[in-house]
Amino acid sequence: MSTFIDLTGAAAQSATYGADEQQRMGFFTDTTLCIGCKACEVACKEWNELPEDGYEFTGWSYDNTRELNGNTWRHVTFVEQFSGRSAGTGRWLMESDVCKHCTHAGCLDVCPTGAIMRSEFGTVVIQQDVCNGCGYCIVGCPFGVIGLKEAEGTTGKCTLCYDRLKAGEEPACAKACPTDSIQFGAVDELRERAEKRLEAVQGRFDGAQLYGTDTGDGVGGTGSMFLLLDKPEVYGLPPDPIVPTKDLPQMWRAAGVGAALLVAACVAAAVRA
Amino acid sequence: MSTSAGSIEADRYGYYGRSPVKPPDWSDKIPTYIFTGGFAGASSLLAFPARLRGNDALARPLLYGAAAGAMVSTYCLIMDLGRPERFMNMLRVFKPTSPMNMGVYIFSVYSSAAMLAAAADATGVARPVGRACEGVAALVGPAMATYTGVLIADTAVPTWNEGRVTIPSLFAATSAAAAGAWGMLFAPPQRADAARRFAVFGAVGALIASKRLHAEVGPILKESFKAKEAVKLGRSATVLAFSGTACALLAKKSRFFGVVAGALLFTGALAEKFSVYRAGYISAKDPKYAVTLQRQRIDARGGEPTRLREPSHDGRPAGSVSA
Ligand code: SF4
Ligand code: SF4
Repeated sequence: MSTFIDLTGAAAQSATYGADEQQRMGFFTDTTLCIGCKACEVACKEWNELPEDGYEFTGWSYDNTRELNGNTWRHVTFVEQFSGRSAGTGRWLMESDVCKHCTHAGCLDVCPTGAIMRSEFGTVVIQQDVCNGCGYCIVGCPFGVIGLKEAEGTTGKCTLCYDRLKAGEEPACAKACPTDSIQFGAVDELRERAEKRLEAVQGRFDGAQLYGTDTGDGVGGTGSMFLLLDKPEVYGLPPDPIVPTKDLPQMWRAAGVGAALLVAACVAAAVRA
Repeated sequence: MSTSAGSIEADRYGYYGRSPVKPPDWSDKIPTYIFTGGFAGASSLLAFPARLRGNDALARPLLYGAAAGAMVSTYCLIMDLGRPERFMNMLRVFKPTSPMNMGVYIFSVYSSAAMLAAAADATGVARPVGRACEGVAALVGPAMATYTGVLIADTAVPTWNEGRVTIPSLFAATSAAAAGAWGMLFAPPQRADAARRFAVFGAVGALIASKRLHAEVGPILKESFKAKEAVKLGRSATVLAFSGTACALLAKKSRFFGVVAGALLFTGALAEKFSVYRAGYISAKDPKYAVTLQRQRIDARGGEPTRLREPSHDGRPAGSVSA
């Protein structure tokens, strides 16, 4: 089972890049600091030259963006937790969502063209000149991150600003964030920072919890980690994501059983009674 | 109304009714491909023993049916890509972690063989090559009929992923039903014995497998088969399979019943595959499914997430019907 996962997982990284391998980079998004300004969304669109997704009002608090997709690679969620109309009875939750750059990435595993690759920074990148728009990665991702880029006929998602990283710059969203809610850095360091931050805020915020920092979870931990103030599903995040290739050997065995049954049925049908 | 739009009350299943996973962005060409590809594969398989016995009246319509299925499949597969001209990019890598990549190899070998076999038979040119191609198509046919089950199961789509043990067998069964039905439609009844039996095995197998699938996915995901967009397809599939089987039993001597049974079973197999496809779509689109499933999984483990390295369930749900 592990052979399947390790073929394209993070373990393959050093084998591919040798001396060019860099430290694994990622994000720590601390939602206790988010003010919902959407500077990250705008900076991302601007830097990556992404088109708008229409001017519509959703009625979802201040969220008119709705979701991450092919042309939206940062998405600020807004949740109003109020039980009444008077002041001081509730709270606002804001969180800037992004591709998780999974240790074991479903999108990367299932991509049939090899368009999705693990970069030397340990991030997950879709090579736009290879992608044929089959859309398999859209359902391969356990976080619902990827979407179609209609104009190009390919799919898109956050690249952790691969071009900026290669130039020694931090991603545009982290650069633009005025409160340091989005922090960029080496994944190991960020994980430690996230744990310290959780300790510091525990007791001050109800429901404070880390998301993506557990390297033993169903995707082997993520490169984009979060400090949340409620259950993941409240922010539209899956509470127990699993990389679908986890059970791939079992699926092929099941196909073998199906094929054997088909042959048996054919033999039985062809034998003259 | 004191609860504001964004409260947890209003969003029992997550974020403003939006699911944490995405449904496929495919058109109906993809479920069509799953059906025609499976039908073609099973037809090539059934044509093989017919040929060995010199029953050309059955073998030839199956050969042509398989080639037609392969052609429709090729069209659907390529035209549903966002960049059809980049179809060949799938052949630039060999990637065992991607069922779609593996599938393209299976599909390429199969459809070339099936089309060549039919062309050789129709023109009478290069007969031995044609016969060899018939053999290759029969050999790869069962893979064609089942790999699409792996393709949809290896996703974050809840109903497909949880149904991973049964879906390939269900696809094999519906493929058999469709291929057998095709034989009944186009071969005279006295030469269509094998097709009739194959169709009945397939139809009955699909009824059993679909019952088992509903048990495998569990009580929550089972609801995805009952949602508005899927339920009519599922019910039609059952009715068509039963009535088609009944007609097939009367078709031993009657061409009329053979044609009726063929039409019923062929349509039934199509409906069954579309119902599985739709149920999956719904299970990814409606947040109720992914959120409830994952939350229950965590709660059952005392707050712990699912571990990557732990063995998965063996696919034998409690109280399921045996297949
Ligand atoms: S979150 Fe989804 S898109 Fe991002 S790396 Fe993981 S599987 Fe791929
Ligand atoms: S749409 Fe592109 S990136 Fe996604 S799986 Fe297909 S080829 Fe790979």
